[in-house]
Amino acid sequence: MPLDIFIQVLLNGVLLGGIYALVAFGLSLVYGVAHILNIAHGTLLAISGVVASLIFLKTGWNPVLIIPMIVIPVFAFGYLFHAGLLRPLARRGKHDETIGTVLITTGALIMMSDLTGFAAGTQQRNIPVRSEMLEMGDIILPMAQIWILAGIVALTLALHFYLKYAWFGKAVRAVTQDAFGAALCGVNGPRARALTFAAGSGLVGVAGVLYAIIYPVDPYMGFSLTVRAFTIIVVGGIGNLAGAMIAGLMLGVAEAFTAFLWSPKWAPAISVILLLIILVVFPRGLASWRKA
Amino acid sequence: MTLLRVDDLEVSHGPLQALWGVSLSISAGEKVGLLGANGAGKSTTLGAIVGHYPAQAGRIAFDGRDETRSDVNSRLSRGMALVPEGRRLFVDMSVRENLEMGAYLAAPRRALAQSLEQVFTLFPILKEKERQAAGTLSGGQQQMVAIGRALMSRPRLLLLDEPFIGVAPLIIRDVMQALAQIAADGITIVLVEQNIHRALEFVERAYVIENGRTVLEGSRGQLLNDASFGAKLLGLD
Amino acid sequence: MPRIVLYGCALALAAGVAAIPAFAGSYLTAFVLALMISFVMAQSWDWVNGQMGYLNLGHFAFYGIGAYAFAILLTRGAPLAPSFAAAVFFGSLAALLVSLPLFRLKGDYFAFATLAIVPLCELLANNFDGLTRGSDGITLPPDYVLVPAFYMAASLAALTIAVTLWLMRSRFGYGLRAIRNDEQVAEVAGIRLFVFKLATLTLSAGFAAMAGAIQAWQFSYIAPNTMFNLGVALVPIAGALLGGSGLLLGPLVGMVLFASLEQALLVKLSHLREAVLGLMIMLIGRFLPGGLLRAKWITGHRSLFWLSRESHFEVAASTGAVSDELPLARRAIDKNQIVLACEGATMAFGGNVAVNNVSLTIRQGEIVGLVGPNGSGKTTLFNLISGIYRPRSGRILIEGKDIADFRADEIAHLGIGRTYQIPRPFAELTVRENIAIGRTFGASKTPLVDAMRTADVFARYVGLDGLLERKAELLSLQQKKALELARALAAEPKLLLVDEVASGLSTVEIATFVKHIRDIRDHYGITVIWVEHIFSALAQVVDRLIVLDNGAVIADAPLAEAMRDEKVLTTYLGHAATEAK
Repeated sequence: MPLDIFIQVLLNGVLLGGIYALVAFGLSLVYGVAHILNIAHGTLLAISGVVASLIFLKTGWNPVLIIPMIVIPVFAFGYLFHAGLLRPLARRGKHDETIGTVLITTGALIMMSDLTGFAAGTQQRNIPVRSEMLEMGDIILPMAQIWILAGIVALTLALHFYLKYAWFGKAVRAVTQDAFGAALCGVNGPRARALTFAAGSGLVGVAGVLYAIIYPVDPYMGFSLTVRAFTIIVVGGIGNLAGAMIAGLMLGVAEAFTAFLWSPKWAPAISVILLLIILVVFPRGLASWRKA
Repeated sequence: MTLLRVDDLEVSHGPLQALWGVSLSISAGEKVGLLGANGAGKSTTLGAIVGHYPAQAGRIAFDGRDETRSDVNSRLSRGMALVPEGRRLFVDMSVRENLEMGAYLAAPRRALAQSLEQVFTLFPILKEKERQAAGTLSGGQQQMVAIGRALMSRPRLLLLDEPFIGVAPLIIRDVMQALAQIAADGITIVLVEQNIHRALEFVERAYVIENGRTVLEGSRGQLLNDASFGAKLLGLD
Repeated sequence: MPRIVLYGCALALAAGVAAIPAFAGSYLTAFVLALMISFVMAQSWDWVNGQMGYLNLGHFAFYGIGAYAFAILLTRGAPLAPSFAAAVFFGSLAALLVSLPLFRLKGDYFAFATLAIVPLCELLANNFDGLTRGSDGITLPPDYVLVPAFYMAASLAALTIAVTLWLMRSRFGYGLRAIRNDEQVAEVAGIRLFVFKLATLTLSAGFAAMAGAIQAWQFSYIAPNTMFNLGVALVPIAGALLGGSGLLLGPLVGMVLFASLEQALLVKLSHLREAVLGLMIMLIGRFLPGGLLRAKWITGHRSLFWLSRESHFEVAASTGAVSDELPLARRAIDKNQIVLACEGATMAFGGNVAVNNVSLTIRQGEIVGLVGPNGSGKTTLFNLISGIYRPRSGRILIEGKDIADFRADEIAHLGIGRTYQIPRPFAELTVRENIAIGRTFGASKTPLVDAMRTADVFARYVGLDGLLERKAELLSLQQKKALELARALAAEPKLLLVDEVASGLSTVEIATFVKHIRDIRDHYGITVIWVEHIFSALAQVVDRLIVLDNGAVIADAPLAEAMRDEKVLTTYLGHAATEAK
């Protein structure tokens, strides 16, 4: 494979993987704090992407302006969704709570996809930004991709520093590690859970806009993204940003090369097959992080 | 002056009643022990005092104000802090972060630097290990973090639930000395402890809880001389 | 409701269903057929969820695999019967293959991973287009098969009901319910978890695959996006949960209701069918955790409560005079026989060494007290002996056998029984069922029928007579502890590990308990290690005291001697005790 094509495929994989990692961050934070595996998580990305592309089509605004228009409503939606539908389930026994969260988030997935498909059409859309090309010798890269990469890096760092240094960020980590201990320190658990759910949703909203700039989105593609995010947190560990980023990049690059060297139709299979293989090969490793 | 007053407290865990009538009266500056067999209701009593378990019946008053129905945070901000059984640290966070979490509420947050200073003076080893993840510390050091974290909220009443479990015997002495220092600084201490000898070495007065009720109360001297006391605790009667 | 009426109703229902193709039009016939297929899906799914407690969201994948296997064979000229057989075979095979990875997971993780199987299957069906014709789908020979398909579906539904009834009263089914209630305790009681899980998922997948094949036969066209559609995949699950998972009639009633609702609401909709479906699923999740049939107005209703039956084992009325003699073999005690030996057993969690180089020997017929302060490693030692943990180093030998490679269920069959410090009975099962599970799966391996019948002797022995049909979750703490003792005893152990039973008991109750411990040793030769904080209880019966502190043995001596040991007094009892004496 010539070097310039190799670099382009690698960059595609890195971008894809970076976006997967953003999706995984949200899923992982929400699971760590609220013990909810949100099956509709990736669907929020799909819908954010579709809405963003519609806004772009209508207005032609810079996607940077579109991001807050998406993130704020998605954040609010996440908060209300948790407070109204998921929080009341905590009063139930464990198995009933699991059944409740699974049914509610899966029902939400089906409903949101269909509503969006009904309102915006089921076809694939994207945000066709015009982009200058960055030329470095033989290698030609669209500037948009470089900006997206920068955006992913910036978001990851921002999240990292927020969790590390902000009071609420620390509280989120504390609740993840020991909810009772955190309550003794004065952390309001239910509020922390709802806000984390909202933040995870907001994050996926940003990812949706970025995704739609490089790849087509449609209302029904969300679940396959949730599957990828799940594989990533199984590999990278719950609440572990660095682990999720590494796992995300690996998955993205693997998919990009599979699509290029073999066939795009097999790329989506990698995450599920990888997940099953990991579960067979590393049961001990899994058991150890499942306890944490 | 009475700092904490508990009258006929009753608490249930689901369908099972754990406390059937616990009464305590603790003055400011006292060091008081809660003794009793496993499952007698000591931990539940502490949990109910800080508001983690709701009281079914009875009254809890702190510093002259009724707190029976108030939530964990308002009791915490009024000056009650619990060092729970099993320490409940944030094991992947650093020692310093664990301590900082103790000052999460607004008022103690303003005094963060000063409180940290005080905790590090009390437990100099924690200053040395401040960047280390709490889970990697020894049992005794973890206990120090747990006590330090509770102190960060600048409490007037410190409740400790079996703080010497999993602590090496030599370190127990250090922790005991630190507790004595805390008491000397004017903080009221309630200690739940299984080892009577150790408990009576430290406290001035103790209550005995049996099957969810306070059945006996006395000063250190009274309890040491009470022939039935040791037997009662060990179930030798 | 009298049994005869019940049978009459069932018979009338069966006759009514059988008559449908003869009288009703093809639309209604196809609707009832689809309903029966959905019921098979819902009920076979519920064997895994309602009985075993695993939320399998990928059940529909097996349906699709069955449909594809059937269609591929049939279109390539295979006769009908082998095509159906292939459907069941490949559906079950798929379940076998995914069991290994999936059962590493629990709870929501299991649910999610199983859900991911559905899109994976869709992808495979799309991509292996040489076999499946990809997204074009497979068209079957256009024969009119509605009526034969209807009768096949009806037979499959009847078989599904039969299997459900069998599960609800068989030993296997009780194993599943034990797993649902507390997997770890189930394993320690002697249930081989993986085999039970594998068998149940495979059975359930086989039924789903057959259902898929029948439906494909009737549709005469299948494609990846209809066979593996997520929305459709969740309908039987939502139906079973709507009725009441784990109940005899739950999936049936739920599916009938759900299908009727779907007919009423969705048939007229040209758009947003899936959105309404999603909303219905959300509402069920939000408001009906236990299902309609568990609602108060049904369980508490005079003439409706039977709908919420779980149909468990029924025991013939007691035969009157039951002896107080426990149905256990009387074993002679051989004092030279070593039942348990620990050689330098060590266990650490992270940096915390919970059991530190513990060596001890327990001889047959001994009653040994194991004491030490909280956190000194007593319960961890029990967990090592019963196989919940593996020692980091050192060996544990049971009657000379190194148990390093033994699973907890195998250790139970070697004759180790135990109770738990915080009681862990199977909460949703009755006292009788708890005891019978201990007996039928433990070392005694008594058949379920006998185990159920003899359960009352054990219950009376521990003072639970009159509470046999009460659910364990409704017992008091002391009663739960008594139940655990009965469950452990019923297994007929050689070595019984008792973890703190006396706290909270009155002096008289303690005396009774002590008598039991002595009894089971004297009469049945059972060796006992007893963890207890209440010394007076131990003092009445133990031959020897082992004292742990910080995970290490600090004394191992006859009781009187250990009580005089200075080290024991200072580290554990404190001086107060010496002074009190």
